[in-house]
Amino acid sequence: MSTHTSRLDRVRDADHGLKLVGSVGGVTIAAALVAFLVAPALTLYPLLAFVAVIGYGWLRYQESTARFLMFLTTVSTVLILGLITVYLLIRSFPAFGELGIDMFTGTEYGAAGYSLVPMIWGTLLTTLIAMLIAGPLGIAGALFLAEIAPGWVRELLKPAVEVLAGIPSIVYGFLGLVVLSQYLFDQFDMPVFGSLLAVGLVVGVMALPTVISVAEDAITSVPDSMKDGSLALGATDWQTIKSVTVPTSFSGVSAAVILGVGRAVGETMAATVILANIADLPDPLYDVFGNTVTLTSLIASQYGNASGLQMSVLFAAGVVLFVTVMTLSIGSQYVEVRMERKLGGRQ
Amino acid sequence: MSTDTRALVATESSTLELAGGGLVALSLLLVVGGLVGLFGVVPVGATVAGVPFATLLGAGLLVLGAGVLGIGAASRTGLVATDPSRSAGLLAGGVFALFGLVVGGLVGAFALGLATAWPVTALLVGVGAGAATVLPREDLGSTLVPGSVAVVSGLTMLSGLVGPGWSWPIGDLSATLYAEVAIPLLAAVAGLLAAWTAAKAYGGFGSRGRQLGAYLLIGANAAWMAALLVGLVAFVLMKGFAPMTRGIRYGLFVQPWTWFYFPPIEEYVVISGPVIWFYWPFVMEGVALTNDINGVLPAIVGTFWLVLGAVTFAVPLGVGAAVFLTEYAEQGRFTGLVEVSTNGLWSTPSIVYGLFGLAFLVPRLGNTTSILAGQLVLGFMLLPLVVITSREALKSVPDAYRDASAALGVSKWETIKSVVLPAALPGVITGIILGVGRIAGETAPILLVMVSDPFPSAAARVVQGSFHFTGSFPFVAAPTIDLVQSSSALPYQLYAVISAGLDQNMAFAWGTALVLLLVVLSFYAVGIASRVYFRRKLNQ
Repeated sequence: MSTHTSRLDRVRDADHGLKLVGSVGGVTIAAALVAFLVAPALTLYPLLAFVAVIGYGWLRYQESTARFLMFLTTVSTVLILGLITVYLLIRSFPAFGELGIDMFTGTEYGAAGYSLVPMIWGTLLTTLIAMLIAGPLGIAGALFLAEIAPGWVRELLKPAVEVLAGIPSIVYGFLGLVVLSQYLFDQFDMPVFGSLLAVGLVVGVMALPTVISVAEDAITSVPDSMKDGSLALGATDWQTIKSVTVPTSFSGVSAAVILGVGRAVGETMAATVILANIADLPDPLYDVFGNTVTLTSLIASQYGNASGLQMSVLFAAGVVLFVTVMTLSIGSQYVEVRMERKLGGRQ
Repeated sequence: MSTDTRALVATESSTLELAGGGLVALSLLLVVGGLVGLFGVVPVGATVAGVPFATLLGAGLLVLGAGVLGIGAASRTGLVATDPSRSAGLLAGGVFALFGLVVGGLVGAFALGLATAWPVTALLVGVGAGAATVLPREDLGSTLVPGSVAVVSGLTMLSGLVGPGWSWPIGDLSATLYAEVAIPLLAAVAGLLAAWTAAKAYGGFGSRGRQLGAYLLIGANAAWMAALLVGLVAFVLMKGFAPMTRGIRYGLFVQPWTWFYFPPIEEYVVISGPVIWFYWPFVMEGVALTNDINGVLPAIVGTFWLVLGAVTFAVPLGVGAAVFLTEYAEQGRFTGLVEVSTNGLWSTPSIVYGLFGLAFLVPRLGNTTSILAGQLVLGFMLLPLVVITSREALKSVPDAYRDASAALGVSKWETIKSVVLPAALPGVITGIILGVGRIAGETAPILLVMVSDPFPSAAARVVQGSFHFTGSFPFVAAPTIDLVQSSSALPYQLYAVISAGLDQNMAFAWGTALVLLLVVLSFYAVGIASRVYFRRKLNQ
């Protein structure tokens, strides 16, 4: 009986603690955030109050305080994404308001108006070239790692793919400029140094590891029982891969390709470094040896001397990028969830 | 999966294997030859063993094509025993049809000069190639197209139709194709197609042959990637090593270690000893007119502070969120929202983070580009990586640990603190290290929020002053930490060199690239090695 009451007390105590720390801590941290948004100089005071509350809570009700703190950290991810969205929209609002649809219909970027069409076209072309490389080669690489490679080769190649993803984009860009762009310039007798083709090739190599590692996860998640069934029927390894593994993991593999597209769209430094800064549409449109600017390289190369409306246009370019990549990200997650459900149901 | 069919097909198949193996070897040789020519190691105009390289490639292609066609015909007429399927299959048919489409279009548009009718030839050749592959029996179908491609391209090279001096402006694109590129490119592509088919023939066609063919291509792809990585790193190392290590001097000197005044003898006592003196200008200097050798010290210091700040910001947040998500939260709308935002943050382009920092942080943090803004922005970028990897690590802690702890009456928080987190720690740390490797190389965000001087002469002085005693209250002076000042960082330094013009600064650029690569790759090496170590330990 006595243990019962004491446990009840403890629960009540913890509950009380959670309420106290949660409410006071929540109010103070919210106040700190609001202060940072409106009057950054005043942020320190609510923040100190928050620290004091948490310190008191930690000593008195550690369990509840820890839980509350972890809840806050979880909220922070959503909060950051929200802040990014809000601030991009706020700063791009003048551009959308003043230029409106002109940003997506004209073709001129400069004195005549700020059209984002050349940049969108440049991003589209480079992404297309990149995915022609990263898509098939990445899927083949994932198949190799997941199904074909002997153990020791896999142990070596998997970290290698990670390292390939880790090489900084500016190093890729530098190599693309000094080696690849130079090569194309010399061998193809191009009028201008730098081309969409060079950017596409470099970005393709950069998107490759993303495709490989995500697709590999999808392929290895195909249950062994399915493959064993096929093998037991006398199919060869390759027949099993072709008719069982790949179709089953199809949605996961497409999610990998979608994520790869996201990486390629958002790649900045390679395009900034390699492209000659010509903000016009290439002529003819499909001239992959020509130049234009991508959405990312527009921001990176112009932010320094932009102000007013032009700055706002750069933020609008950021909004276009952000929306595109978000759509791709959510799309790939949707596809992955579907695959999980499908495999879970079959198992 | 090794039902070896070789034994069943018996002895005469060794002729087939010999021929097929020879053709695979020849085609791979041509691919390598093509790549060698493409990269200009051996220019097309050069002579190898007394024969022009182009002629050599052409002859090789001709032999290869004839061999591939011959092996198909021999199999069809029953000269060699094979096990072909009824058709080469839609995969091969599709690949060859696509190839035919491209070749037909190019030939129609440029060789025949059809301005508007080129899609017709493209379609004709494409459909023809596809049909020639899919309709006949597999042995004929899979050899016909690659064999004739090799023969035709070999003939064009041997006849000099595409020889040295040949050039062709690619349609209305702003580029011209020269023989120096066209010949080796043709050799490599035709060689690759033929290698696929020859591997199929080596396996006697059928399911075993197809497996060999597919594995050859997929294996070649993997080998290409490994070669790419090794090549990239080796190339930067080769180019950057000399500029990076230029002017290193070191030596062993006898120098005073310490000295003090000793009253009894009324003299200074000096204790001397050997001191290793080491001077490495590239990483110990900034950029200044008075320097013999300019260096990247300010950038290294900047990167150090960046990484430190980003980790301090993102790791507690990320690990906390991961613990909450795996241990406390019920699957529901909230976790779904957090998951979507984490994945969204992961794929948000780095330049968008930069814009966000420019709009949100810079005006609030002294209205200037600053290290603090850079740290926070990179922390935002690191956060999703930490959340994702920490969640994986926490999920992989067996539930038995939690249950055992709970059964002992330990509260949830105590369980997390003393059981779950320690068990997940290796995975969490590995994830953090790999994440740091990633953000240490980011250029785009800091370009907008942190840097101002492209070639700083001195490192940012973040910690100013030191602990010392003073005469006035409170008698101790602490160092001040000033994070609101701009600084360079390694990836930005490389960008700055490139945009300043590479002509005079090539060596400096290569050196910077190498230092950056070494810094990033060492994070990766440590991360991967620790993962391997902990995994081994866990499996013991």
